[in-house]
Amino acid sequence: MAQINTTLPTAKQRQKHLKKRSLWADAWLRLRKNKSAVVGMIMLATILLVVYTSPLYLDYDNDVVKPNLSQTLKFPAEGKLLGADELGRDVLARILWGGRISITIGIMAMLLSSIIGCTLGALSGYYGGKTDGIIMRSLDVFMAIPSLLLMITLVSVMKPTLTNLIIALAVGSVPSVSRMVRAQVLYIKGQEFIEAIRAQGASDFRIIVMHILPNAISPLISQFVMEIAGLILAISGLSFIGLGVQPPDPEWGAMLSSGREHIRDVWHVTAFPGLALVLTVVSLTLVGDGLRDALDPRMKR
Amino acid sequence: MQKTLLDVKDLTIKFRTDDGVVEAVNKVSLSVQEGETLGIVGETGAGKTTTALGIMGLVDSPPGKIEGGSILLDDTDLLKLGEEAVRKLRGKEISMIFQDPMTSLNPVFTVVEQIAEVIVNHQQLGEKEAEQKAIEMLELVRIPAERAYEYPHQFSGGMKQRVVIAIALACNPRLLIADEPTTALDVTIQAQVLELMKDLKTKSKTSMIMITHDLGVVSEICDKVAIMYAGEIVESGSLEDIFENPLHPYTNGLFGSIPDIDKEVEFLSPIEGLVPDPSDLPSGCKFHPRCKYAQHLCRVEDPSFREYSPGHFTKCFVHEGKLSVKEVKKYE
Repeated sequence: MAQINTTLPTAKQRQKHLKKRSLWADAWLRLRKNKSAVVGMIMLATILLVVYTSPLYLDYDNDVVKPNLSQTLKFPAEGKLLGADELGRDVLARILWGGRISITIGIMAMLLSSIIGCTLGALSGYYGGKTDGIIMRSLDVFMAIPSLLLMITLVSVMKPTLTNLIIALAVGSVPSVSRMVRAQVLYIKGQEFIEAIRAQGASDFRIIVMHILPNAISPLISQFVMEIAGLILAISGLSFIGLGVQPPDPEWGAMLSSGREHIRDVWHVTAFPGLALVLTVVSLTLVGDGLRDALDPRMKR
Repeated sequence: MQKTLLDVKDLTIKFRTDDGVVEAVNKVSLSVQEGETLGIVGETGAGKTTTALGIMGLVDSPPGKIEGGSILLDDTDLLKLGEEAVRKLRGKEISMIFQDPMTSLNPVFTVVEQIAEVIVNHQQLGEKEAEQKAIEMLELVRIPAERAYEYPHQFSGGMKQRVVIAIALACNPRLLIADEPTTALDVTIQAQVLELMKDLKTKSKTSMIMITHDLGVVSEICDKVAIMYAGEIVESGSLEDIFENPLHPYTNGLFGSIPDIDKEVEFLSPIEGLVPDPSDLPSGCKFHPRCKYAQHLCRVEDPSFREYSPGHFTKCFVHEGKLSVKEVKKYE
C-alpha cells in the first residue's frame, strides 16, 4: 500500500503547480482558436516573410529599378508573373521590394504615434483639469488640419526621407490616437476598482501603467494594428501624389500612381499593387480583431 | 486605558458644484481606540462615505474640499501631511473596503497578483515572496490556494469580497474602514463575511470603522456607534447606550422602523419624509422638518453636541430641557 503523505504542502510548494499561464500566453491560446484571426495571421506572416526576405533573392539594381524598355507594359506571362510596368520593370519584384518599405514605415509610424499618443492620452485622461485642457487643446490645433494635409505639409517642409515620412505620418495620427486613449482612460478611471487601488496607496504612475493601461490595451491594440493598415494607405496616398517614397524606389502607392495613366489598356500595372495593399490591410484588420477578443480575460471560455 | 488611534475633530467637507455648495460633512468628530470597532450608521446621503473618503484623503478635489477640522492618526494630522505621505499610509496604516466587490477588483489581473500588488507597494519584498504572502492571505480569508491564479470574473460575489478583504488586510493595517461591505451580498454570504471580518479583526487587533445602514450588522460587530444625519453626527455612544437607551429622536425613529419579532404591531413606524438635500440644508436643527418633537426653537437654533452620560453624546433640545416636551419616546 502506498504511503499516504499527511503533511500538507506549503504555500511555496503549491505555488509551482498553481502557476498558470500569463495574460499573454493566455491570449495566444485564445487567438489560436479564433479562425478568422488565424487566417489573418497566416496571411500576414506570409506577406511579412516574403516581403522582408526580398533582398535575399532580388537584386535592387537589376530587378527593381533598372528600366527594360523592350518589356514595357508586358502582360503577365512566364518569367514575369505579374507583368511589367511602363518602364519594363518586373511588377512582382517591385511589389515585394516596395512592400518592405510600406510596411516598415507603417509599423514604425504606428509605434511612434502610439507611444506619444498613449502618453499624452493617459496623462490628460488621468489628471484631467488643466493638464487635460492644455494637451487636448494643442492636439485640437492639429486635429483642425486634415491629417493628410498635415502630412503633406510636413513632408514638403522636411525632405521626403524615410525618417521624415515616419515622423510626418506619426504626427498626423497622434491626435486621433491620443483621443482614443484618453477616452479609454477616462472610462477606466471612473470605475470603482481604480478608487479601490488608490485606497491601497498605489502611486499615480503605478495606477496608470499597471492598472489603467492594461485595461485600456485590449480595445486599443486592435485599433493600433488597424492603424498600421491606415498608415500604409496614407503612405501610399503620399507616394501617389509624389510626396512619399521617391522614384526610382518602388512603393505600392507610387506604383498605383504611375500605373494610373495606363489603367484603360493595361490592368495589371495597377491591379497587383492594389491587391497587395488590400491583402495586407485585410490581414492586419483580421489580426487586430482577433487580438482585441483574445486580450480580454473575460472572454475566456 | 486604551490608546486612541484615530481622532477626527470638526471635519467639514464641502463640494462646490455648479448647482451650489453641497455640505456633505459638517463638523464631524469621532474617535477610534486601538482594537475597537466604530459603526457609522445613517441613511443614504447622510455623508458616511464622504467622511470615510475624507479620512483616507480620497475626496475628489475639485469639486470636493476639506474645509476644516483635523484627522489625527496617533498624533499626526493627516490633513497637514503632503499628498505623497498620505499615499504611503493608505493600504499600510489605513485600508478601505468598498461597497461593491463586483467592481472593486481589476478585471485583467489574477486575484493573487492584486493582493501581491499592495504588498509590493508597501513592503520591501520581491515579487516571489509577495506572491507567497498573497496566497497565505487568500487562505486566511478561506479561499483555496488552487484558485489564486484565477481572474475576478471567475469568482462569486462573496469570494470577491473576501479577496477585497484580503487585499485590505495584506499589510496589517491598524485601521480598516469598511464601507457597507455586506450591502451588495446576499444574506447568507453577508453572515459569512461578517463572521470572517470579526474573526480577522480579533486576530490582528485591527481597529475598524464599519459604515452601514443596517443596525443588525452594527449589533453584530461594533463596540461604539455614531448615528449620522445630513452630514452630522446626531448621537454617539457605546453599542449599549445606543441600543438600550437611544436619546435622539432620529435614532429612536431608526429603531422604530425595524420590525420586532416580539411585538405585535399593525404597521411599522418609519420616519416621515426624506433626508434633506445637502445643498439646501434646513436652518436650525437639521432634523427638525422630520421631527415629531420639533418646536419653534428647533427651526432657528442648532442644538449643541453634549455628553449626557459618560461617552454618550447627542444633540437635541429635548435633552437640553429647552422644549416643553421633556422626553423622547423610546423606539418611536
